[in-house]
Amino acid sequence: MTAGLYVHVPFCLTRCGYCDFNAYAGLGDLAPRYVRALEAEAALWAGEWRDERFASVFLGGGTPTTLEAMDLAGLLARLRDRFDVAPDAEVTIEANPDTVDEAKLSALLEAGFTRLSMGAQSFDPLVLQSLERVHSPGSVRRAYANACAAGCANVNLDLIYGANGETLDSWRRTLEETIALGPEHVSAYALTIEPATPLGRKVQAGLVPPPNPDLQADMFGLACELLADAGYEHYEVSNWSKPGFACRHNLGYWERRPYLGLGAGAHSYRGGLRWWNVRPPPEYLDMVVVGVHPIGGEERLTPQDERLEEVFLKLRIMEGIAVERVEPKAAATFIAEGLMMRRNGHLVATERGMLLLNELVLALAG
Amino acid sequence: MTETNHIRNFCIVAHIDHGKSTLADRLLELTHAVAEREMRDQYLDKMDLERERGITIKAQAVRLAHQAGGRTYELNLIDTPGHVDFTYEVSRSLAACEGAVLLVDAAQGIEAQTLANYHLARDAGLSIIPVLNKIDLPQADPEETARELGELVGWRPEDVLRVSAKTGEGVAHLIDRIIELVPAPRGRREDPLRALIFDSTFDPYRGVVAYVRVKDGVLSSRAKIRLMAANIESEAEECGVFAPEATPAPELGPGEVGYLVTGMKDVHQAKVGDTITIAGRHRAREALPGYREPTPMVWSGMFPAEGGDYSELREALDKLKLNDAALRYEPETSQALGFGFRCGFLGLLHMDIVKERLEREFAQELIATAPNVEFHVVRDGRVTVVHNPSEMPQPGTYDHVEEPMVLATVITPSEYLGPVLDLCQSRRGELVDMKYLSPERAEVHYRLPLAEIIFDFFDQLKSRTRGYASLDYEHWGYEPADMVRVDVLLHGEPVDAFSSVVHRAKAPQYGRRMVERLRELIPRQLFDVAIQATIGSRVIARETVKAKRKDVLAKCYGGDITRKRKLLEEQKKGKARLRRVGRVDVPQEAFIAALRVDERAGDKR
Repeated sequence: MTAGLYVHVPFCLTRCGYCDFNAYAGLGDLAPRYVRALEAEAALWAGEWRDERFASVFLGGGTPTTLEAMDLAGLLARLRDRFDVAPDAEVTIEANPDTVDEAKLSALLEAGFTRLSMGAQSFDPLVLQSLERVHSPGSVRRAYANACAAGCANVNLDLIYGANGETLDSWRRTLEETIALGPEHVSAYALTIEPATPLGRKVQAGLVPPPNPDLQADMFGLACELLADAGYEHYEVSNWSKPGFACRHNLGYWERRPYLGLGAGAHSYRGGLRWWNVRPPPEYLDMVVVGVHPIGGEERLTPQDERLEEVFLKLRIMEGIAVERVEPKAAATFIAEGLMMRRNGHLVATERGMLLLNELVLALAG
Repeated sequence: MTETNHIRNFCIVAHIDHGKSTLADRLLELTHAVAEREMRDQYLDKMDLERERGITIKAQAVRLAHQAGGRTYELNLIDTPGHVDFTYEVSRSLAACEGAVLLVDAAQGIEAQTLANYHLARDAGLSIIPVLNKIDLPQADPEETARELGELVGWRPEDVLRVSAKTGEGVAHLIDRIIELVPAPRGRREDPLRALIFDSTFDPYRGVVAYVRVKDGVLSSRAKIRLMAANIESEAEECGVFAPEATPAPELGPGEVGYLVTGMKDVHQAKVGDTITIAGRHRAREALPGYREPTPMVWSGMFPAEGGDYSELREALDKLKLNDAALRYEPETSQALGFGFRCGFLGLLHMDIVKERLEREFAQELIATAPNVEFHVVRDGRVTVVHNPSEMPQPGTYDHVEEPMVLATVITPSEYLGPVLDLCQSRRGELVDMKYLSPERAEVHYRLPLAEIIFDFFDQLKSRTRGYASLDYEHWGYEPADMVRVDVLLHGEPVDAFSSVVHRAKAPQYGRRMVERLRELIPRQLFDVAIQATIGSRVIARETVKAKRKDVLAKCYGGDITRKRKLLEEQKKGKARLRRVGRVDVPQEAFIAALRVDERAGDKR
């Protein structure tokens, strides 16, 4: 079984109101030290993960492309030194449209990055504004053109639907623009209100209405329809790709393969144990500098935890879950209601079922 | 023991907030019954609950000593409950007195309870002393109120006493008038003992304590007593008086008021209105008149809330019943709410008090079904009593249904007379008579179904009269009525807790309101949920809760998995708290909210 290697870069140019990731604006000064710390942390783990083959590397954030191309290239090289990264590994880097130009992208491809994941979010300026994104639809098109020009053959565009003010028509235009660009991969997420964010507080205070779940359901349906028509496979609740371009790294999470996370707040999982690093970058730096594993917490999964995770992760993807792993009575009901179907001895959520996955999971996991 | 001609037994009767407890406080002070440093407001209202609600649930009796004309008088002030739920208890307290102070707020004037109490006191043959209270208030109108009150009791307005219970003004004079006007009790020491129980209570250490008024003969500590209605005998342990704390006395003679530690363990053996006599040859032949069994008028199902324990609820009710002879309960099983009890109460206030005590004193979390009255279902001349709507037979299986009626008295400012009549009319009322107490105030009598009264009538009355109208009522027998059982179905399954018996003409409106409210309360499920109100097999109202379409975590990657799993576990816990009706999951709050009668809040006057 192959493993995944995740590297967290917690720096952003600005913080978006809806985002609850471990990311910080204004800490850019820490970047050089942070890159060295990542390399040091990799060294700490090298022994224990010596026998794992890594089929993917994923630099996420935050905004990894806030780092210099040279630093990123150096980091990737160090990781390949420390770990057994497959020669044909998928190596993804997340990018903000405003942080990449053709030269930087060329340098990254040169350094061995194979996949670019870009936070486009929407092609509707009003929606971008509602999401407090600073980029414009134009800069997405420009960044995408740069990626193509640099020779990037595997690009993902991230989209968010259901922001305040977005209509089904606006969402249709965003999808059509996306399809017109023709990326290999599209992620489309229903906007989720996280309580501990500026947007979450606004919703709680009644200043912004919460997303309408029925409209989001319609938007999901529209995404399924348009993306399928354009030749994209719907391989996970929120992910579509051209054949052969599913994100191998992310599939690893849903297939419950081991992963090692480096960087502030990064999570790791192997052999029924999950652990996570301390979240604040300064604290992370302090620990790594003195040669200590920067671990903030861990949990040993109980058999019940494992079962629930297996059901809720595997039902997110096309593969589905083995029939014998779930409550047969609940499964029969869901099949009868068209929320699930059987395929090769597995149960797979239908489009409608995917939207109700929490309900399905709770019933199926018993 | 005091000679009967030096005893005065009296009570104070008044509408709520007209100052009864404050006047009692002043009487205690003026007669030095309580040391100054021990004095506190509403001294006689012992229970916390009473003090907060500003009402007196349990009658109390206190002995006051007063010097007048060189003699010491024994004044027994018997406190009476002031609510229509407890009319029978009031009547027994009155039966322990020879006189009544009819207290009226000089700013408010005569209210419905003033009238009700006056009539009860008059029917009990008491000497009535009309008194205006709160004459110190700037908005008081003593002249007008004295005129109204004088007219009611047949006194000249200028003879009506005027006091301020707050400042004490006029209270000393009132005591003189009580001694002068309230007749001394009659009754001879030589006669066989007859003592009226006008209240009883359970003391965890001493067992059942009865509050008694000796009518004839002598009640002594350690007497062998016999309760005539209950037909049981016991050995008394102690008698005494409240002065105002319990003080043992060797005996209570004719006319005296006090307490008796009965030696019994069950409050139901010493019921209000029963007569105590001596066991054996010297027993009285005839009991004092007026005894009756307490009859529940209002019923409600009480169920332990989520996670609650049925046996704990039973224990709490058992304990409560020790102190409350009027409370009735029997086990009830609801498909929707599980195991609980169908409880019978004297009225809404009694129900609220019991509920509150269960919650407060026994930490019971409850779901209570909407209160209902007791119906008589008549078939072939045979009457079946139904006090649970889900037991109401389907139409066509009986000849007719009878429902309990009341005679209601409403006093209202004349300007609101229209809205009051509208309200009574809309509640299937029948006007009996109406008169003006003054050009500004009218007194209206209506015959109304009790079922309509317990359905937010009082709040409606208050809101339509900006709080100025007052209400009282007495029970007025049973009458045939076109009642039907309305069931509520969720996804085709009847929910027994939501069944209700309503008048046929009102069934559609009731059904509509229930289904609309439930549509708001029932969370979306994986399928459309039909909510129907039905009479028999006929659907009278319908709403649909549309199927839920989206319930999924949008993002789930490495760092999030632990958190997302915990979110799911939370969601699962939430689901476990739902009650399942057929295929529909219903949160407990939906039951509580749906069963709450709109803004009823009991008739807390």
